Amino acid sequence: MKKKVLCLLMIVCMVAMLLTGCGSGSDKAGSNGELNIFVWTEYVPESVIDKFEKETGIKVNMSTYSSNEDMLSKVKSEAPGAYDIVQPSDYMVAQMISQDMLKELDFEKLPNFENIGESYKNPSYDPGNVYSVPYMGGAGAIVVNTKKIDMEIDSYDDLFDPSLKGQLVVLDDFRAIIGMTSKSMGYSFNETDEAVLEEVSKKLMKLKDNVVLYDSDSPKSALISGDCNAGMIWSAEVAMAMEENPDLEVIYPSEGPYLFFDNWCVTKESKNYENAMKFINFMMDPENMAMVLEEFPYLCANEKAIEMMGDEYSSNPAKNPPAEVIAKGEYVQNLDSDVLDIYSHMWTKLKE
Amino acid sequence: MRKKHSRHEWRSNTLPALVMVGPVTFILAFLVVVPLIFVAVMSFCQTDEYYNVVFKFTTENYAKLISPDYLKIYAQSLVIALITTILCILLGYPFSYIIARTKSKKKRILYMLVIIPFWTNSLIRIYGWRSFLGSSGWLNSILMKLNIISEPLELLYKTGSTVLGMVYCLIPFMILPLYTAIEKLDTSLLEASSDLGAKPYKTFFEVIIPLTSGGIFSGSIMVFIPCLGYFFVSNILGGGNTDMIGNLIERQFKSANNWPLGAALSIILIVVTLLLVKGYQKLGGDMEDLGV
Amino acid sequence: MKRKRKAKVKKFVSILFCVLMYLFLFLPIMVIVSGSFNATHTKPYLSWKGFTFDWYIKLWDNTSLLASFGNTMIIAVVSTIVATIIGTLAAIGMYRYRFKGKGILNGLLYIPVVIPEIVIGIALLTIFSRVNIPRGMLTLILAHVSFCVPFVIFNVRARLSGYDKSIEEASMDLGANRVVTFFEVTLPVLMPGIGGGALLAFTLSIDDVIISYFVNGQTKTYPLKVMESIKSGVAPDVNALSTLILIGTILLVVFTQSGIFKKGKKED
Repeated sequence: MKKKVLCLLMIVCMVAMLLTGCGSGSDKAGSNGELNIFVWTEYVPESVIDKFEKETGIKVNMSTYSSNEDMLSKVKSEAPGAYDIVQPSDYMVAQMISQDMLKELDFEKLPNFENIGESYKNPSYDPGNVYSVPYMGGAGAIVVNTKKIDMEIDSYDDLFDPSLKGQLVVLDDFRAIIGMTSKSMGYSFNETDEAVLEEVSKKLMKLKDNVVLYDSDSPKSALISGDCNAGMIWSAEVAMAMEENPDLEVIYPSEGPYLFFDNWCVTKESKNYENAMKFINFMMDPENMAMVLEEFPYLCANEKAIEMMGDEYSSNPAKNPPAEVIAKGEYVQNLDSDVLDIYSHMWTKLKE
Repeated sequence: MRKKHSRHEWRSNTLPALVMVGPVTFILAFLVVVPLIFVAVMSFCQTDEYYNVVFKFTTENYAKLISPDYLKIYAQSLVIALITTILCILLGYPFSYIIARTKSKKKRILYMLVIIPFWTNSLIRIYGWRSFLGSSGWLNSILMKLNIISEPLELLYKTGSTVLGMVYCLIPFMILPLYTAIEKLDTSLLEASSDLGAKPYKTFFEVIIPLTSGGIFSGSIMVFIPCLGYFFVSNILGGGNTDMIGNLIERQFKSANNWPLGAALSIILIVVTLLLVKGYQKLGGDMEDLGV
Repeated sequence: MKRKRKAKVKKFVSILFCVLMYLFLFLPIMVIVSGSFNATHTKPYLSWKGFTFDWYIKLWDNTSLLASFGNTMIIAVVSTIVATIIGTLAAIGMYRYRFKGKGILNGLLYIPVVIPEIVIGIALLTIFSRVNIPRGMLTLILAHVSFCVPFVIFNVRARLSGYDKSIEEASMDLGANRVVTFFEVTLPVLMPGIGGGALLAFTLSIDDVIISYFVNGQTKTYPLKVMESIKSGVAPDVNALSTLILIGTILLVVFTQSGIFKKGKKED
């Protein structure tokens, strides 16, 4: 019996060795060091990472997150330098700058920055692009399955209609959903007044019966499978869902949509700064960016890449939200922690 | 022997005792006790404007938790855990009974068949339920093919689906202790009961159930407590609609970044658990039975 | 006559109930296995696009998935070995010796068993980040050892309760020293309990999601990799690996039928 136990252990050990061998076999190929990137789920395709690894010999370790706050918490609690590159959204860039968590970028090493459209340069959250270069963004779009839903929907406010009971999928993101509620009442995405928030909270509770699923990672799944028939999700998720289910339609709210833009940043404690610069520059190459857009068709800051994508991309409103939609939209801003506490309390109430 | 040469014994026993018990004491002290004390300390801490933990005393975190919204989530979690436990007993008891009473060699195979599914990753099995119950999932497709329904049933993302997932995940923790308890049953007692003219249901309630109550109690504890913390089940099958204590704690640590509040929530959860265990001991439950 | 029919009905009902229960237990497994043969290539991989074996081949290109499984195996093997050694020693030590704080130690053993995993997970996260231990393989192994040890102790202890001390004394009387006695006499008697405990520890370790989720750092274990892939829909290659693991465990069960399993698992 002892022999059998030993034998078993040996087998298990060998399998483990073999597998990690498989995994790390290509690890060792990273002759030019490594790079730890921490990015949104469903945002950076494996194929592009593989291409970068092949071209540069740098081994990329990719981890993913589902919310800015999730990322912030992990960067703070991990050992310093655990991540080289992060991908914060607009307001989170500002917050990370003010907490001194980012390293200045070296534009000498980022010649591809010229491909970025002028309107995307010099954003308000990082004046002069000291710490960030824009990657992709989009809007909080409304999606409707026209076969299943008769109602005319053209605003965030319509999503609160009782006839949509049990139909919606919305982002699992308290700033987006509470912001959408304030917006539907004519307030801002960044409301701070307590009395106003009280009102917003009341309206928010009306959403409770309508929402069946909170999902930021892959809300398209529920729309494709038919578990949900309408909702408020990232614009590109709508585009991807539309490819699988032609009954879906994208609608931008008349109140003006929730906007976001995600950026490449390097953490203060990064140990692979040179590799990080190579990676960011690589990602701004039009050809590589076009590869990204093929898989994740978000709003893109890279003008050359948009040109390469052609009409199919630029005339699709879900992939490339029209300029007038963007003009009407609003970005989320940093709020004080006591206001955020109110937000988070409202969110808890919604989800109980 | 121990009494006779106590001084000599003491010396010769200290070293081996230390060698044998030392490592486990070390592990439990530094990986269980110290971290838990630290959580307790953190639950009285504040955060700065960026949600970094500041070691300044406050009871605010606990004050927040008394608000009806948090209490409601606690109550809801307890109800879900209770329903899960009851369902596990109702399904698990007869099932364990049948397996444990099988006389043939099949018994071993039947027993193994209960365990085998649980060697597959639990997340992927829960996700399997999601694929099974979805609008275009197996169940709805089959029912629609058979013309039993015309529109897909909405089965997912409800409290019921969370409970289903919990029952599925935790039922082995009910079945295993029950199986052990039922297997130990002395058949002669059952025969005696029926020989004395007791009706089968009377034998069941007055002989079998009391004799296996140890299994029921320990199974219930092993189901109820983890149920409070299994946040991923309600994430995957509940669609984020039915938050439980586990989700609340996870959110404080992962996205809301309010660690002190999360710590306070955890301390309350510990208190709830310890009360349950105390209740279990009061009912005559044996702690030894809890190790599965 | 009537009695016979009643017995028949009873038997039929109980068989039907058992079949339904096994169906309940195996349903998701069937979904996983069928998912591994699905020819679909588009996320979220839900609709059936035909039968293929491709994923079993493509699986070997998914190095990060395989590496995560390798990590899980390494963590499980190392923490099982460590927990088994420490736990066995502790069980014997606690059985044999009287020492100060024994009652407290005994109480502590139940903490990891009764307190929800999420609390243990966040407790470890806060302490590791406080004392700045980089999260990774080491912290994962430490965490797994800490929640596995009590289960090993309980299993060994169950075996010890029927243990006859006199055989040890006999061995010592015959001139064997403490160490020899331990390895030649004590250990073999306890083996079934140790085996059962180790098996339980291994099972708990390979499937742990919650505690690993908080202490993993950048090291991905197989359950965490699955958790990540669930976000975008479980890919067929993940299903394929799960199917292979399932087949592997069934083979192991058959292999060990006459070994530790028979004696070990029964002890629980």
